[in-house]
Amino acid sequence: MHIRSLLYFLGEALKSIVRNGWMSIASIGVVSITLLILGSFMVLSFNVALFTQDIKEQVQIVLYLDETSDQETKLELQRMLASHFQLEEVRYVSKEEAMERLKQQLGDRAYLLDGYNAEENPLRDSYQVRTKIPEDIPIVAKEIADYPGVGYVDYGSGVVEPLFQFTGLVRWIGLAFMAGLAVTAIFLIAHTIRLTVYVRRKEIMIMKYVGATDWFIRWPFIFEGLILGFIGAIIPVIVIYYSYQAAVLWMQANIYFIPLIPPERIMEEIVKAIIPLGVVLGVLGSSISVRRFLKV
Amino acid sequence: MIEICHLYKQYVHNEFYALKDINLIIDRGEFIFIVGPSGAGKSTLLKLLLRETLPTRGSIKIFGRDLTQLKNREIPFLRRNIGMVFQDFRLLSDRNVFENVAFSLRIIGTSSREIRKRVPLVLELVGLKDKAFKNPNELSGGEQQRVCVARAIVNRPSVLLADEPTGNLDPATSMEIMTLIQDINIRGTTVIVATHDKDAVDHFQKRVVVLENNQLVSDQERGVYFNAH
Ligand SMILES: Nc1ncnc2c1ncn2[C@@H]1O[C@H](COP(=O)(O)OP(=O)(O)O)[C@@H](O)[C@H]1O
Ligand SMILES: [Mg+2]
Repeated sequence: MHIRSLLYFLGEALKSIVRNGWMSIASIGVVSITLLILGSFMVLSFNVALFTQDIKEQVQIVLYLDETSDQETKLELQRMLASHFQLEEVRYVSKEEAMERLKQQLGDRAYLLDGYNAEENPLRDSYQVRTKIPEDIPIVAKEIADYPGVGYVDYGSGVVEPLFQFTGLVRWIGLAFMAGLAVTAIFLIAHTIRLTVYVRRKEIMIMKYVGATDWFIRWPFIFEGLILGFIGAIIPVIVIYYSYQAAVLWMQANIYFIPLIPPERIMEEIVKAIIPLGVVLGVLGSSISVRRFLKV
Repeated sequence: MIEICHLYKQYVHNEFYALKDINLIIDRGEFIFIVGPSGAGKSTLLKLLLRETLPTRGSIKIFGRDLTQLKNREIPFLRRNIGMVFQDFRLLSDRNVFENVAFSLRIIGTSSREIRKRVPLVLELVGLKDKAFKNPNELSGGEQQRVCVARAIVNRPSVLLADEPTGNLDPATSMEIMTLIQDINIRGTTVIVATHDKDAVDHFQKRVVVLENNQLVSDQERGVYFNAH
C-alpha cells in the first residue's frame, strides 16, 4: 500500500470516528468493557494457575518395584522410564534412602523404627516420577503400572482427578465466557461501521462513479474498526495495570500468604493478549459490515 | 471509440425491454445528444456505458473493450476514463468546492502537489476560480453544476457522459452549462448528453439520436429535437 493512500485512509477513518461522535464512543466503550472483563479474568486465572501450579507440582507418581524381579528386568524398567516422552523427572529412591527420609519425618519418634536395619527393611525400592504436564499423571500411571518389574503404582488417585477436573472446568467456562464477550464486541463494532457506511453512502456512490477500486472504498472502514478496537484495548490495559498494582499492594499488606504474580510480569501477558485482540475485534467487526452493507 | 451492436436491456423484474436492438457507433471527439421522452431508456444507455449494469443481449464496446467481457476489478479503471455529470449534481456538502473537485483525484492516488496544480486550472476552466473555498450549498444551481462538471473532467477522461445536466436549471443557466460542455468537447473530449432540453439541442446543431419506446428511431448529424407527435 502506498504511503499516501495509507495516510488518506487513516485520515478518512479518523474524520469518520470524530463525525460519528457518540456512536464511536459507545463502540470504544463496549470494546473496553469487554476487554476489561476479559483482562480481569486473565489476571485472575493467571494467579489461580500460579496457585494451582504449586499444588499440581507436588503431585507425582510413586512406582514401587517388584522385589522378586531380577537385575535384567530392573534395568529394562529403568530404560523404559528414561525414554518415556511424557516424563519430566525420574528419580530412583532406594529402600535405604526411603528409610532415612522416614526417620527424618518422624523426628523425635524415630525410635519407632529402631527394630529395623539394612537387613530388616520393610520398605521397597521405588521411583519418584513427575510428568511434564501434571494432567497426564493418571494416564501415565496406568501405563507404567504394566511395565515389567513394577510392583504397584501410587499417585494419589481419587484426589488428583477431581483437582484436574476442577481446574479444567474453570478453564473451559472462562474460554466460553470470553468467546461470548468477543462476539458481542464484534457485533457492536459491525453496527457502528454499518452506521458509518450509511452516513457516507453518497460519498461511496460518487467514489464508485469516479473510479475508486473496491478496496480503496473499503480500507477507510477497516481502519476505522481497527482504530476503534485499538483505543478500546488501550483503556482496559491502563485500568487493569493500575488496579492490579493497587490490589497486589493491598493483598501483600493484608493477606500476605497468597502468592501473586507481580504486576510487571502479568502486564506483559495482558498487553500481548488484549491489544491484538482489540485490533482483531475491530477489524472483524468492520469486515462484517463492509461485506454486508458495502456492496461495491 | 464506442460501438453498440444489437443491444437489448431488460431489467430483472421488468417484463419489457428498457432498450431494444440499439445500434450506434460514436467516434472520438464527437458531441452527441440522446433525446427522447422520459422512460425511453436514455439513462439506461449511459448506465450501460459506465458498466453500472450489463446488457441482456448484444454487445457494447468502449475503448476497444467489450463491456460484457470486463472483469469486476477492471470496472474502476474503465470509469477513470469516463467523466459523469448528474442532473442532481451529487456534490458532497461536508467539504468545499476545491475538495469536491479534488475528490476524483484523491481516490485515484494523485499527489497533493499535483492536486494543488490541477484543481485550480479546472476551476478556472469552468469559471469558478474565486469560489474554490465555498461550500457547495452556498452556490447557485448553475454553479453547482459547474463544480460537478469540474469533478468529472479533472482527471482528464476521454469521454464525458451527462444525464439531463440542465434538468434542474433555468433556461439561461442551461445554455451556459451546455456551452461549457461544448467547450470541453472542443478541447477533445467525446461528449454524450442525454437530455430533454429542446432549446439546447436545437441551438447547438450537433448529432442527435432519438430514443422512443425504448428503440432508436432516428440518428441525424446536425439534428434538431425530434418530435414525432
Ligand atoms: N433499476 C431499474 N430497475 C427496473 N427498471 C428500471 C430501472 N431503471 C430504469 N428502469 C426502467 O427502464 C425504462 C427506461 O428507463 P430510463 O433509462 O431511466 O429512461 P430515461 O432516462 O429515458 O427516462 C423505464 O421504463 C424505467 O422504469
Ligand atoms: Mg433518465
